[in-house]
Amino acid sequence: MRKYRFRIIVVAASVLLSIWFLLPTYQDYELSSQKKALTGADSIQFVEQHEKEIREFRKKRIKLGLDLQGGMRVVLEVNVVSLIEKLAKNKDDAFAAIIKEVRQQVARSDESPVVLFRSECERRGVRLSRYYLNLRDTDDDVFRFLEDEAKKAVDRGMQIVRNRVDQYGVSEPSIQKLGGTRIIVELPGVSNEREVQDLVGKTALLEFRLLKEPEVAARVMEGIDKYLAAKDSTNTPKDTSDITPEVEKTPEQFAKEHPFFAIAGFTQQGVASVVEENKDKVRRLLDRPDIQRLIPSDMEFLWSAKGQLGQDGKKYFTLYPAKKTAELEGGVITNARATIDPNYNQPIVTMEMNTEGSREWSRITGANINKRIAIVLDQSVFSAPVVRSKITGGHSQIEGMENLEEGKLLEIVLKAGALPAPVDIIEQRSVGPSLGEDSIRKGLLSAGLATLLTILFMVIYYHTGGVVADFAVVFCMLFILGVLAYFGGTLTLPGIAGIILTLAIAVDANVLIYERIREEQETGKTLRAAIDEGYSKAFSAILDSNVTTFITGLILFQFGSGPVQGFALTLIIGVAASMFSAIYITRIFFDIMTDKKQSLVNFG
Amino acid sequence: MRVFGKTTIDFLAYRKIFYFISAALITAGIVSLVIKGLHFGIDFLGGTELVVEFTREVEIGEVRSAMDKAGFGDAEIKTFGSERDILIRTVKQGVGTTIGDQIRGGVATHFKDNPFTVIKEDKIGPKIGAELQRDAYLAVFFSLVAICLYVAFRFKFIYGVGALIALFHDVLITIGMVSIFDGLTPNLNLEISQNMIAAFLTLVGLSVNDTVVIFDRIRENQKIFRSMGLIELINKSLNETLSRTIITSGTIFMVLVVLFVFGGEVNSGFSFALVVGIITGTYSSIYIASATVVEWNERKARKKLA
Repeated sequence: MRKYRFRIIVVAASVLLSIWFLLPTYQDYELSSQKKALTGADSIQFVEQHEKEIREFRKKRIKLGLDLQGGMRVVLEVNVVSLIEKLAKNKDDAFAAIIKEVRQQVARSDESPVVLFRSECERRGVRLSRYYLNLRDTDDDVFRFLEDEAKKAVDRGMQIVRNRVDQYGVSEPSIQKLGGTRIIVELPGVSNEREVQDLVGKTALLEFRLLKEPEVAARVMEGIDKYLAAKDSTNTPKDTSDITPEVEKTPEQFAKEHPFFAIAGFTQQGVASVVEENKDKVRRLLDRPDIQRLIPSDMEFLWSAKGQLGQDGKKYFTLYPAKKTAELEGGVITNARATIDPNYNQPIVTMEMNTEGSREWSRITGANINKRIAIVLDQSVFSAPVVRSKITGGHSQIEGMENLEEGKLLEIVLKAGALPAPVDIIEQRSVGPSLGEDSIRKGLLSAGLATLLTILFMVIYYHTGGVVADFAVVFCMLFILGVLAYFGGTLTLPGIAGIILTLAIAVDANVLIYERIREEQETGKTLRAAIDEGYSKAFSAILDSNVTTFITGLILFQFGSGPVQGFALTLIIGVAASMFSAIYITRIFFDIMTDKKQSLVNFG
Repeated sequence: MRVFGKTTIDFLAYRKIFYFISAALITAGIVSLVIKGLHFGIDFLGGTELVVEFTREVEIGEVRSAMDKAGFGDAEIKTFGSERDILIRTVKQGVGTTIGDQIRGGVATHFKDNPFTVIKEDKIGPKIGAELQRDAYLAVFFSLVAICLYVAFRFKFIYGVGALIALFHDVLITIGMVSIFDGLTPNLNLEISQNMIAAFLTLVGLSVNDTVVIFDRIRENQKIFRSMGLIELINKSLNETLSRTIITSGTIFMVLVVLFVFGGEVNSGFSFALVVGIITGTYSSIYIASATVVEWNERKARKKLA
């Protein structure tokens, strides 16, 4: 056995590795089928108990495509022409004519709208600086400015959509930029198109909202805490002689007596800090009608848009007690910019407002010095700076960002109020969950049946050779799924078809080898020599034919989209996996068998 | 077990007959393409498509009159897998999901006592449709070129040409068959979708796979039997690889039939195209790819004589 040791280790390692990668997928399946068996409160409780595992497995499992699990895919395009139109100053009839022409061209052409706009202006002999920047600026300057604005508009659109999707609580959403002006949003499990209208159709709403005073916030949260503790103690009789001092309480005791503060830590600044894994729990709690009654009618809890890393390495979200009505809306903002303050070398964001806004702003800031005003985009808080002084003239400066990145984000958010990115839905696909389940069932049924038939045929036709080839097929399947899990690939219905086809390709490699061995045996060679010859002579044919399949797979992956890419992916992985299992693994079987028990080896 | 023992079939002797058959099939396909055309799906046309699942079976005619009333007289209506599932499609474009909402409204007012759910909804803007179409052409084109180059590089140049002609032959016949068979039975839905393009590329891969195995054997035999004439050599190679060709193609054929029957509506067009493709792909390796090499050689020989 010694001389096979290395090869056996290689195979065993590949198999174990594949199983290791597939484990989360299996565990996720187990958990979700357990969850399915429960209903209502039980299922929520189950989710709460297993929150961490679910999150963990979810991240590492093989993802199902939207066609299999149901969900929605939306492709948005930032309407750059509208943006160009909005940015222009001194618009006249000539400008309107240019915009109209460009809009028609954009529908037909793949060229960037900014380029089309420029060439249209040049064709008509109109200088770009007539409508943008200063008269002294060259066409190139204005062109760069417009390109930059178009790019920023896409970022803004993405931020707005991401913000809304995050609030929505869709699990595993995917938001990607595609090309220069497009955004792909994929939302598994969402199939109601009205929800999507809300998600992308609405104009972004930016508000400035005052935070409630820390004392008021503390009172409300204490109220909630007490209410929950009281409600809890009616279920479980509590020891009335509570003499344990606060400091010596175990976390369990504390959680029992302060059910709210145990998951939402109150801070001196009058906000609550919630660790990521408890966020959904707190959200559900605050949505309960009985809890809603405890919150004053002019107050509302808002979440921070982004979490911050705590000292324990966990992500913490902030819960802000804000006033329900906005002091001012973001439409008054004319510009925002993130820079580094040259005096203190700190990141800052500057913000300009129009005259009307400046007047309001000076009144608001004047009346609320040392209070916090939250910058809220679509119900998420992006920053809550303290008002230092009355701001007149509309020029404000926001400090306290951790880094320039954070400043840039705030700039995008502030501009979302000033210049909402006009987006069009250019593609929208949704698959209902029942169709998805049906597709999975049919996909698995046909895959299973095809595998079974192939395995049977091989055994009948090639006897032990067939059995070995069947092992190779099983290993091959395992490798494909393992690699798919490792790369976080997505399994689609065409992807299942790809796996089935790979199966046929894997079998083909063994057919090539076995036919060759039979030929060699017929020329009177010994079994061992025939196997040697069969493998070496069949190799070039297997390689060449697999390379061509591989090439088509790559091209398909490049040009296909969505489900078709899933097909290409499994095909590419499958070609590699099938060569390994059909050539390398089967050879070990035959080498060992010819060594130990030649009578076993039989190619039918 | 053996399907074929040693065979000595003179494949290439019949090649002229098969040229004729191929030409006839391709002509039939082209005629159908011209008269009937291809049935482009929503991916390429753009528009809005809904699949509605009713609680009870409905008549297609009823759905049609509901759509006429809702102002979608041009809508395409057909069953989707079962009699309860109806696919409604229009090429009309509207802002957001307005078209989908109108269709939904039309169905709801007509079928008041037969509740339904929308199990699939696609809306494709005009620009996306055009782009998907262009990407599909590019994908097929590039894969043909890449394969031709690879084969020419691994074998001789003329082999690459042979493989390429065989691929064109297979794709043409399959497109023709897709055009002819589309809609022949109510459940056979062969529209050109992204999945169908994937099927065509797979067909290209499988067909060249088969061709390469035969070319590989020719290459090997050329080294062994240096003095053998080309026709004899190719015939010998074809006979030697025949049982592999039949078994592999048979296995893939079997797998595809399973996929066609059990794989659901989404996979049926895909597997139909591949079933046709695997048949022509196997056949074209012999009578198109290998035969091209033979014809080329004979022409060269004739030129030398002249």
